[in-house]
Amino acid sequence: MKAILTVHNFASDLVTTFWTPIFVGIFIAILTYALWPRNQAAFDEAAKMPLREE
Amino acid sequence: MNPSSTAKSMTLGEAGLVTVFSLTAFLCLLAVAMAQDTAFAFHAALSSAASLWAVIAIGNRYFARPSLPPQEINGRPNYNMGPIKFSAVMSVIWGIAGFAVGLLIASQLAWPSLNFDLPWTSFGRLRPLHTSAVIFAFGGNVLIASSLYVVQKTCRVRLAGDLAPWFVVIGYNYFILVAGTGYLLGVTQSKEYAEPEWYADLWLTIVWVVYLLVFLGTIIKRKEPHIFVANWFYLAFIVTIAVLHLGNNPAVPVSVFGSKSYVAWAGVQDAMFQWWYGHNAVGFFLTAGFLAIMYYFIPKRAERPIYSYRLSIIHFWSLIFLYIWAGPHHLHYTALPDWAQTLGMTFSIMLWMPSWGGMINGLMTLSGAWDKLRTDPVLRMLVVSVAFYGMSTFEGPMMSIKVVNSLSHYTDWTIGHVHSGALGWVGFVSFGALYCLIPWLWDRKGLYSLKLVNWHFWTATIGIVLYISAMWVSGILQGLMWRAYTSLGFLEYSFIETVEAMHPFYIIRAAGGGLFLIGSLIMAYNLWMTVRVGEAEVQSPVALQPAE
Repeated sequence: MKAILTVHNFASDLVTTFWTPIFVGIFIAILTYALWPRNQAAFDEAAKMPLREE
Repeated sequence: MNPSSTAKSMTLGEAGLVTVFSLTAFLCLLAVAMAQDTAFAFHAALSSAASLWAVIAIGNRYFARPSLPPQEINGRPNYNMGPIKFSAVMSVIWGIAGFAVGLLIASQLAWPSLNFDLPWTSFGRLRPLHTSAVIFAFGGNVLIASSLYVVQKTCRVRLAGDLAPWFVVIGYNYFILVAGTGYLLGVTQSKEYAEPEWYADLWLTIVWVVYLLVFLGTIIKRKEPHIFVANWFYLAFIVTIAVLHLGNNPAVPVSVFGSKSYVAWAGVQDAMFQWWYGHNAVGFFLTAGFLAIMYYFIPKRAERPIYSYRLSIIHFWSLIFLYIWAGPHHLHYTALPDWAQTLGMTFSIMLWMPSWGGMINGLMTLSGAWDKLRTDPVLRMLVVSVAFYGMSTFEGPMMSIKVVNSLSHYTDWTIGHVHSGALGWVGFVSFGALYCLIPWLWDRKGLYSLKLVNWHFWTATIGIVLYISAMWVSGILQGLMWRAYTSLGFLEYSFIETVEAMHPFYIIRAAGGGLFLIGSLIMAYNLWMTVRVGEAEVQSPVALQPAE
């Protein structure tokens, strides 16, 4: 139980201290995914999804 | 598998729901006998009757159905459109009711005698009836109908669940009925946009979780590998509304057999919870959900792909990351700590970017199809809704700036702002979606009359312009009069003088609301005629339609 609490406290401290860089990091990862040149073709296909369904 | 060869037996869902509703019918009858107040007794009796009806309806359906509907027919998904039809029809009915009550309360402000000196028709009770009817009943049904349609079409599978989708649409509308009749009887927990009392809240929680499961279940069994962006927006709307509802509504009932309860939060924490909820109801119910409509219905109607799918991803995530922090701007210059107010203001201003990014994405989807705005009034309605979205998401952040807010807060400017978003953005995008959905759902070639859509468009647009311009003038006038001092340092105007100054603008506003209501009646007639006399779409039984 004590070990769980220690882990919980550690995780909680980590998130409350570093949530800004964590969230910014996640957001940058999303931006990278969205703007990655190799994903372009897949996104162009996805943009047509409403048009090609039957 | 040949369906006729399988022996028919009740599904777990049917048997379970019959049991649960039988029990509920009995328990609610017990609650009628034990009720502490008449409103609670009325709702318990209503719930008992509704449960009994549900048992009979599920039983009848079981005896009437040959076997469970197949997932696919001739290799094509056997889409489940019944619950969507129900929800779409309810949205039109609730919309007209909600706009009509809005017109009545707008007229009450201009001519107070229209309160009729009766508790049930007083402004205080009708105002939440209006807001809930238009936001949750009209808007909610449009969102449920369109989301269940879009998720099936873009995942190419039948909706998850057999009775579950029906449970969602009927259960949600039953929640509206309980909430609305409650307001008229004076049952309210006095939280704006969260007025329903504890038992209605509990029921909504159950319905909403089932909605989430139906939506998620459909996504999980999808045939299409990519999850289309509209589904992301719908999912964010469903998940966040669940979280907001649970966060804002914990309450302790005075008695389990009475309608009155006390909210768990107190003081400024309660205020912060309320506006965290309230603003994200705007952000995730009135924005994210309807943006999903934009991302599906505009490409579909314009027959053009989304302008930038990349932008749609960035639009989605930046909206999700930012919106949840903007709530404190509703509490400027209150007991809320100053840093929290500034935080709310800062995030509201940052929201300009994703909002306008999304608006540009919606508008630019018409690249190469701009000429259709001349010929297709439905597309025009959808596009003008996006323009209103851009306008109100410019105005909102501006009003969240503290110095602007010191003038605008508590005045009619706020009401004007809300209605440019609600009538212009949410209303028009919903009308556009309904004009698309009804012919699709009933297999009609097109609408009964595009000319009537044109009439609806112009009547409603003139109505909106009258409404919001009257409220701008009235709000700024009101704000300036409240803060005017004489040379001796006394307030220049008494409160009643500011009320008197509002009178002409209240009449103009009511006229604008009246035009908007007339527009919606034109739409209802048009949609009714589309279903009744519209030309049926001839569908090829096997071959897929060519990609457009």
